[in-house]
Order: sequence, then structure tokens, then C-alpha cells
Amino acid sequence: MFNYYLKIAWISILRHWGLSLLMICAIGLGIGAAMTTITVNYLMSADPIPHKSKQLYYVQLDSWDVNDPFDEGLNPPDQLTFTDTTNLLNAQKAFRQNAQAQANGVIEPNDPELLPMSVSGRANTADFFTMFDVPFIYGSGWTHQADVNKEQVIVLNKVTNDKLFGGEDSVGQTIKLDGNVFKIVGVIDQWQPKPRFYDITTGAFNDSEDIFVPFSMIAEQKIGRSGNTNCWKPSGDGFSAFLVSECIWTQFWVELKTQQDKEEYLTFLNAYVEEQKAYGRFLRPMDNRLSNVMQWLENQEVVADDAKMMMAMSFMFLIVCLLNTVGLLLAKFLGKAPEIGLRQALGASRATLFSQYIIESACIGLAGGLLGLVLAYLGLIGVESLYGDYMQGLATLDSTMMILALVLALISSIVSGIYPTWRACNIQPAQQLKSQ
Amino acid sequence: MLVMKNVNKIFQTADIQTHALRDFSLTVNEGDFLSVTGPSGSGKTTFLNIAGLLETYTNGDFLLDGEDVGKLNDKGRSRMRNEKIGFIFQGFNLIPDLNLYDNVDVPLRYRGFNAKERKRRIIENLDRVGLASRLKHLPSQLSGGQQQRVAIARALATDPRFLLADEPTGNLDSEMAQGVMSLLEEINQQGTTIIMVTHDATLAKRARRQVQVKDGRVSELDLVNHRAIA
Repeated sequence: MFNYYLKIAWISILRHWGLSLLMICAIGLGIGAAMTTITVNYLMSADPIPHKSKQLYYVQLDSWDVNDPFDEGLNPPDQLTFTDTTNLLNAQKAFRQNAQAQANGVIEPNDPELLPMSVSGRANTADFFTMFDVPFIYGSGWTHQADVNKEQVIVLNKVTNDKLFGGEDSVGQTIKLDGNVFKIVGVIDQWQPKPRFYDITTGAFNDSEDIFVPFSMIAEQKIGRSGNTNCWKPSGDGFSAFLVSECIWTQFWVELKTQQDKEEYLTFLNAYVEEQKAYGRFLRPMDNRLSNVMQWLENQEVVADDAKMMMAMSFMFLIVCLLNTVGLLLAKFLGKAPEIGLRQALGASRATLFSQYIIESACIGLAGGLLGLVLAYLGLIGVESLYGDYMQGLATLDSTMMILALVLALISSIVSGIYPTWRACNIQPAQQLKSQ
Repeated sequence: MLVMKNVNKIFQTADIQTHALRDFSLTVNEGDFLSVTGPSGSGKTTFLNIAGLLETYTNGDFLLDGEDVGKLNDKGRSRMRNEKIGFIFQGFNLIPDLNLYDNVDVPLRYRGFNAKERKRRIIENLDRVGLASRLKHLPSQLSGGQQQRVAIARALATDPRFLLADEPTGNLDSEMAQGVMSLLEEINQQGTTIIMVTHDATLAKRARRQVQVKDGRVSELDLVNHRAIA
């Protein structure tokens, strides 16, 4: 019977094409608006490293001013001091650990034909590449020993390697960065985690960096640091004083395999802070935190409140569109009252008729869903052009979103079809047959 | 066999109570050709709707082929309509969006026949009414008489025991009406019980048995005397 219902629905849609088109447009508009905002929210809140996001923890310690708490005391500072990062790194208490900060510099290409290039960079430790599953085309990240020995090594991203070496394997070659010679140890493939979870503080949706150098290069002043810096008391004069100041500008990630590892590491952090209190630091009550990737994204409100508000509004718009569809379906189905009465006379039960007309609603909903996908695609292009780089890579409809759009359209149309179909199925056949 | 015993039908609105059928008792035997006459508003169509399970009755007993109709739910009534009853209406009641083949196909679909059996029955019955060559035509492409023939083919396609006809020639000219009546007589001779509501006394007399409905009550007409008087 299903094929028969589909056939009847198809005939009915074609026969009443004007009314059907109106309904398809109403559902399409609602789905289009909803899917545009759902997609943006979905991609903003997607797990960027699902297979190990529960093993990667961002470390927070409350080293802030006792008289003027960070974030009004709701959260500890979102970054660490260089002193704390260095101490935690040296302790090597986690399975893996990564100290990092944003950096930048200028590369002087070996080819005299090429102009100097300003590049975004990241100063990090060796574990960064394994912790965050960074894919390599050539070579690999540097070793722990390279970190310890403060070797001047560098990893390029694919775009930078393409520019400097025409995409060739550049491992083993050297480049000059901010006047210092660095040896290339690896070239990473396309890698743009969205959100860029490993450093939310400098923009959750920014592109990943052009180059990566050892964290020690900042202290050695072989590369300039950048990113957010917050201080609650003067940092003193000179770079050496800044490094030992209470200014926060570094981030620290650890990889912990089990819940027990996490508890042990938290115990270690508490012991560390107790120790530091003895030196007159950490005057605020202890508030050390380990947040896994999704907890950290949530804590940092990566999905902005206005994006959530937009999504809520688009759902309300979808409801308005569906209410219109209910009215149109009601008009269509009640207009078919004589046919419904006749079908009852010929042996159709109410349940049979309900199935037939709900399938017709679903067909209209599917067509509306397809239109909604096109509108959502256009909507996302609009969002991307409106917000520029911030939204780049976020405004794409993947297969999950496409399926969701069709399922949403299907459910919406079936829900809107229930009342009109119920009304139609409760028509008294005798009256309709006489009135023909 | 159709048996109604003291069947009442009361239509109730906010202010008015209308007795459409009053203690209506009638037995229609296998193979009967029964015509039902009566003035407008007498309850003829109400009787036919109840007989066709298109309407419920207020009280009384109604057995169709021995089955108590009052105890059936919507599904049971639908099944019985599909299996035992064929309808012919004054307005033909073909579905305008469907061609002749698909119109006759409707009750067969609800019966659950396979495609081969449905095709056989559709062609056989359209052939019986002389329209097998116009399978793909829409109802709007046919004359009134032809449309009524399609409706008859549709009614016969499920091999019903009862054929209920409500003014089957009411919208036809006399020549077409004669043709449809001849077809109904032929169908009756082949064993199908026919109950026909009509205003037309001449057509009513062609039935083997006549009843009259007046003020919701039924009375049997003596066919021999009636014919003699006429």
C-alpha cells in the first residue's frame, strides 16, 4: 500500500501544485532558517578531537589578585604564568604535557626572489603534535631532547612549505626566522581544527598557525610572543622580570589516560599550589581545575549566546511556517472531503486514510526539506560573507546536517499534518457522497 | 441477506430532533432487486446510508449476512463495505484526478489484491460496461452515462453481494438511464442483490420488489396490484 499512497500523493501534489508549492515554500523557508543557525551552532560546538577529547585537560590555577579575583571569582584565570607553566612542565607528572603560547615572526626566505613573510606561530613543547594528533606530510615534530637542549628546530604548515619550498620535502633544510636559523624537522598537512580548541584565548575559530617552534624559544627570545597577556600587578622592567612576573600568557595542556590519573594529577596540582603559597604566591583560596576539551569549550562559551538566541528565533520562525502549513493542509484536505467520503465508501478505514494523507504531508515535507537545504546553503554563504574569516570553515553543510535537515522537515511536516489529517479522516462519508 | 428490525435514526442538533427512520423493519433476500421510493426527506437515503454502513443508527437491529453491524468498529465496517457492498451514486462520484483504470482500482487496493488480480478485475469489469478501450481516460473526458458505467464497473470489481444505488439515473437523460437500468437488471440476473433508491416511478417498477418510505417508515408495495393499477 505504501507505493500506492506515494502514487496518490504524487498525483495530488501535481493536481494542486499551487497549494503544494506554497506549503513546500513555507516548510523550506522554516527549515532553511533553522538549518542555517543549527549548522553554525553545531559546528561551533562540535567535538574537535572526539576520540581523545576526554583525555586532554586544560590546566587552570588561581594565582590571581586576592583583592580583585579573576572573573569575579567564578573561574580561575584562563592562562598560566610562565613560572607555573615551566614548573608544571618540568615536573613531567602527566602522560603527556604541552606548554604553549602564541608567537609570531618574519621569515627571510632562502630564495632571494621571495619577499620576507610575516607568519603566525606557536611556541609549544614536543608533546603538542602527538597530544593533538597533528598530521604530518614530511618528517615529524621535534623530540623532548630538542626541547631540553633548546634546539632551534621548526615545523612548517603546508601552506608555508608550499610558499617557501614549492611543496617539496623541506625536512633537514634551514630557514631564517627573526634573524635566527631554524632547522626544519617536519611539515604538517592541512590541519584546521574547528573550534581551534588548543588555544581558545586567541580566537576559537582562527586558523591554525603557519609555524611551530619549541616553547623555550620565547624565553630565549628567538621568536616574539603574542596573544593575550593579563597582569594583576606590575611585571617589572625587562623581559627577564616579565618571565617571572604574575602575568598570565601561557597555556598548559596535559593528557591523562584514566579518571584515576586525573585525580592524581589534581592532587599534584594542589600540592604544587600549597608549595607556592609558602613562597607568598597563590593568596586566593585554592581553585585548581582540569577541564577536558568539551568542558573547556563550554567554560569559554565558544558557542556565543547570540548564536543560541538566533537558533531559538529561527526555531520560532520554523513554528510559524509550520502553523501556516497546518492551515494550508487543512484547506487542502478538507477540500478533498468528497474524495475522502468516497474512499470510505469503497472500503478505506480511518487508519488507512490517515496513513495515506500523512504520507502526502511527508512528501510535501521532504520537498520542503530539499528546498530548505538549498536555502540553508545560501544562508550559510550569507553568514560567511557577513562574518568573514571568523566563520570560514564553519559555514558548511556536512552529511549529518543534510540528513538532519531532511529528518527535521519530515518530522515537522508529519506533525503539521496530524491535525488536518485527523480532521479529514473524521469526515462523515454519507454527507460528502450526497453533496457531490 | 439484509435484515433491519425496528431501526431508528434520530438526527440531533442543538434545538431540533429529527426522526429520519422510525421502527424501520425490512428484509432483503439474496438476489432481490428492490426499489425504494418515497417523497423527498422521507428517509430513503438515510436507509441506504445505514444499509451501506456509511451511517450509524440510533437503535434497533441490523444484520448484514448474519453479522450484527452495530457491534462492528470502523475497521470492521470498512472491511464489510469493501467486501460485501458496492455503491452507485447519482453524481457518479469518480475521483477526477484518476483515470478510469485507477478509479476502478481504488476498492481493489483496499481489498489487498495483488497487481495481476487487480488488473484482471479492472479490465474485465470495464469491458463489461463497454469501456475497456478507455482505460487511460480521465472521468472529465467521458459523458455522464459513461461515467455512471465506470462507477458500476468500480462497484462490481470487488464482487459485492449487495449493490446499493442512490438515484443511479438521476443525472442521466432517458436514453442513458435506460442503458444503465438494463445493465443493473443484467447484474441482478447474475445474482447480485440490488437496492435502488429512485424518484422515478417507471424505473422503480422495473425492480422485482418495491418498498415505499414515508416519514421514516417503510411499507411494501404489492407489485402485482401496483402494476395493474398503473
